[in-house]
Amino acid sequence: MTCAETRDLVLEHQAARLAPDLARLLEAHLATCGACTRVDRAERELTELLAARLPRTPAPPALVRRIARLSPPSAARRAATVTRLRWALAGASLAAAVLLGTLGVSGLLARHASARGAAAVTEAINDHLRVLVAQRPTEIESGGAHQVKPWFEGRLDFAPVVPDLALAGLELRGGAVGYFLDRRAALLQYKLRAHLVTLIAFRPDGLPLEDAPHAARGERGFHVVLWRAGPVGYAVVADVDPRELEHVAAEVQRAVSR
Amino acid sequence: MARGSTEGDALPREAIAHVDALYRLARHLAGNDRDAEDLVQETYVRALDALDRFEPGTDLKAWLMRILRNAHVSAWRRSRRGPRPLEAVEADDAVPPAQDAFVRGDLALEQMRAVVGTEIEAALGALGPDSRTLVLLHLEGLTDREMADVMGWPVGTVKSRLSRARAALREELAAYARRATP
Repeated sequence: MTCAETRDLVLEHQAARLAPDLARLLEAHLATCGACTRVDRAERELTELLAARLPRTPAPPALVRRIARLSPPSAARRAATVTRLRWALAGASLAAAVLLGTLGVSGLLARHASARGAAAVTEAINDHLRVLVAQRPTEIESGGAHQVKPWFEGRLDFAPVVPDLALAGLELRGGAVGYFLDRRAALLQYKLRAHLVTLIAFRPDGLPLEDAPHAARGERGFHVVLWRAGPVGYAVVADVDPRELEHVAAEVQRAVSR
Repeated sequence: MARGSTEGDALPREAIAHVDALYRLARHLAGNDRDAEDLVQETYVRALDALDRFEPGTDLKAWLMRILRNAHVSAWRRSRRGPRPLEAVEADDAVPPAQDAFVRGDLALEQMRAVVGTEIEAALGALGPDSRTLVLLHLEGLTDREMADVMGWPVGTVKSRLSRARAALREELAAYARRATP
């Protein structure tokens, strides 16, 4: 692989999106080329700096409420509202809605939360599938939780716990940095008998997560348990029986709460 | 695209889930919170009108980002009564891909870590709008293919311009880092 080809693929490689053969070629080039290694490091540092320091301002709740109320028949009228009357009219409309009763607004907020919850389940399964399809799912091979946890330092803007779940029959295989919805996440892979289990740790800001793991939700033959434990959100995904996955989630919760 | 099940004609649930990512991009394109809110709302209005043109199996987030970018360009043209200038993009292109201060070794990467959030926002604001968009789309996790769909450019163009944009951003950050380091 040439320097030009390497630099063309560095960002995709850092996002773990390269095919295994191509990734191996790129890594072989990096091992022998100081100039490309500097490029690789500078790109990685910039991504990590932006992920950690660039403010991630969420959409204002009032805007979310307005958007949740949009529907196709009123689209043209609302476009006119945006361009001609800006938020004066929208604010008056919202105030009228509030006067008519807070139940409608509560419903909209609940719907927004529900939408985010559904998207989180889908994204958790997609992350799990990306790990499975990559066939080279881990950036740090496991020598145990004590080796994997330090690897994440500086790569995320939070410190994920890497739970040792050996007593529950789960063998830690390794970890990687990926994305969960719109945020960077720690992806941990465990083996449970013949099944692969992905544990995703992420910042839970703005996501409607429960404070403890409860019922597994299913989609496309996989099951997901989502919850938050303090400042970190967790998703555990596998194609095992939902009751068994709930047991795994409870073990994770026990481990991260210690 | 799966439609929201609770209200027949309402926005699909998945679309609403991307509102934060859209708002973040809008803030950096519009430059202020009020215009960013307008831009996001107009994006969803346009998306609703074009729902039947969304191709199932393609990325919904990228589709919404493309609508937002087009809405931003349209707003620019309406307000300026002319095409968006290209000077900023060309200025970014003046920086060769990945040949910035950090790559050359003129500045230690550790120094870059001294910059704070507001300085990073200011450095982003110094880039041209297309470069800023690319940097933010990449940060939001879009692939080269998805960014190409958003921008309406070939993948190769996205790759080279993203590389230049990130090099230009590092140069901007270098200026802040030098100021922050005695």
